[in-house]
Amino acid sequence: MELFRQEHKKIWRRWSVRLSVLLCFLYVVVLGGFLTFQWLEFGTPNSEAGHGTHFDGYHNIRAQQKYAEQFAGALTDETVQAMTADFQRIDAENGYPAYYVTDYELLNTWIWTLYPELTDNSDWRNILHYAPPEKLSGFYARRDTLLSDFLDMNSQTGAEREYLLSLDAKTDKPYHYNWVRGWYIILNSAGELGIVLALFLSITLSPVFSEEWRWGTRNVISSTKNGRGKIAAAKLCAALAFAAELFFMAAAGLVAAQLIYFGVSGWDQPVQLIKLIAVAPMNMLQAEIYEYTCVFLASLGFAGMVLLISALSRSNFIALIASLALVYVPMAVGQYLPLWGQKLLDLIPFVGTPTDIFRTNTYHLFGAYIWSPWLLISVPVVLGLLCLPFAVKSWARQLKK
Amino acid sequence: MELLLDRLSKRYGAKAAVDNVSAALGPGMHALLGANGAGKTTLMRMLCGILEPDSGSVSLDGGDIFTLGPEYRNLLGYLPQDFGYYPGYTAGEFMLYIAALKGLPRSVAARRSAALLETVGLSKNAKQKIKTFSGGMKRRLGIAQALLNRPEILILDEPTAGLDPKERVRLRNLLSELANDRLVLLSTHIVSDVESAADRVLLMKAGGILLDGSPEALASQAEGKVWEVPVEEKRVPEWESRFNVANLRRESGRLYLRVISDESPCPEAIPSRPTLEDIYLYFFPTDKED
Repeated sequence: MELFRQEHKKIWRRWSVRLSVLLCFLYVVVLGGFLTFQWLEFGTPNSEAGHGTHFDGYHNIRAQQKYAEQFAGALTDETVQAMTADFQRIDAENGYPAYYVTDYELLNTWIWTLYPELTDNSDWRNILHYAPPEKLSGFYARRDTLLSDFLDMNSQTGAEREYLLSLDAKTDKPYHYNWVRGWYIILNSAGELGIVLALFLSITLSPVFSEEWRWGTRNVISSTKNGRGKIAAAKLCAALAFAAELFFMAAAGLVAAQLIYFGVSGWDQPVQLIKLIAVAPMNMLQAEIYEYTCVFLASLGFAGMVLLISALSRSNFIALIASLALVYVPMAVGQYLPLWGQKLLDLIPFVGTPTDIFRTNTYHLFGAYIWSPWLLISVPVVLGLLCLPFAVKSWARQLKK
Repeated sequence: MELLLDRLSKRYGAKAAVDNVSAALGPGMHALLGANGAGKTTLMRMLCGILEPDSGSVSLDGGDIFTLGPEYRNLLGYLPQDFGYYPGYTAGEFMLYIAALKGLPRSVAARRSAALLETVGLSKNAKQKIKTFSGGMKRRLGIAQALLNRPEILILDEPTAGLDPKERVRLRNLLSELANDRLVLLSTHIVSDVESAADRVLLMKAGGILLDGSPEALASQAEGKVWEVPVEEKRVPEWESRFNVANLRRESGRLYLRVISDESPCPEAIPSRPTLEDIYLYFFPTDKED
């Protein structure tokens, strides 16, 4: 335990670690959480200046939540029509930015996606501004058709299609509606959190083993009672603990910001309100738990891989570059690969994103179809854990040379 | 307690770093003496279980040290030649870290660290970052960390490197004291470090042990090979190029050269009593600068 404590302390002692943690906190929690909610996303558009937003997000969020309450409950054709009509009334009376109080981005996406025939190409405005409310009927039938067409377009047929539709069938209809925009922002930011954590975990964990070469401590380490194996194991545990701490610091900060600004209202809405063709049988809270769990497990998996790289390398710089390349190169080249190649790369920690819950990707394994989020949450951490014994062995072997 | 080296060999490519070395080491102070590249460090790393020999074995009281593993390393204190440290650590923090590597409980570690820093004269620097230490202070810290687990076998590779004369004397005294009831093996290429303190000297050359015995016994091997020759100052360079010159001294306005030679270098040469340094220079004539 003392060995673990000392190794853990050693990680935290490095100035690069302290700076990384500070920057991670500032970027994820302060900028991505508090400033985004108070200013960037929910601040009232500055109509006088013509650009920018005011620092009044908290007030606006309360106003939006209060406005949404009048439509809260089962989402029916009548609800969609009423929301559209009310938006158009506010738009006509007050214009931009008065309608900012409505869930207009979401509503516009629904109408644009489900009722494309209502698009007027001669009108530059979004469809929500002019779509006749009385024509917005058959919401669920159109949504099911949209999903079906999407699966056809992706050539997802037969057993795969049946599997995805069976997932979709698990969500009760009509959907329960409440204010959505906050959840939309939260559930779409988890992928970004992964990208940021990948950067800072690379910086902080890549020297764990390789720095022993830099400082020339290998001879002392090898001749002590605990020996190479136990010391390597302590380093791994300390590094994994650090990865967990970094994740929890970021996640706790974001959740705190979320609770302060959004509260918990709307937690039981289905995720289909954010993306209509999603088949995920999840409500907003379940989706958030899934996404954070996915990022947490990816953090551990990525940490495992970085530690293996660190154990194989005698240079901090090379270990850092290789760690960054591990995640950012597949991200960059993935789009140029065939779909199966992209799916394979997605299994590397942080390359695939937890926002796959909004997609209909599957993996075909041993004759069965598995919805991609189940593999994206489990495979990266397994890959990382598999790296750990190799990290111990390769480091111990290198020290003998 | 006996540490037995049985036909130990280690090669790096075509070069034999350690070549068929055998020796039995018990309590007392043993010194590995040899020029740079003689194989001292490689031999010590094998004795510490860091390097595995290509052939041969090292055993402690009959048990192979690689089989004994942690049990053996628990008895071991090691100061490597290239002693590494974390520059951002203070001396006290570094000692606690090494104590954890050695498996000492925190309370014991804190007590022993403080006592050992006192022993090596670093107690006032315990809260100072190691990167601010002089070479000698770092070396003393290295010695302190080697002693943390109260080792029965203490292996010190070039412990006096970077120490000033006062510190060297202090270290010699400390090691002599420690060698009373444990095995102390130190390597050096500075003869004066071992001449007075070592019970036994193993002279290494080209990976093998050339001579093995007490400093006096080794020095006696140079009997009849050490000469004092009075020379004119202008002829010194000529003598240095022709003979293995150990020393130059002035006395009453005259210049005397101490020459190592199998035969009398000139009729005026006076036989002199050999020292350990003479035997070292006899075997390492090209390493006089060491």
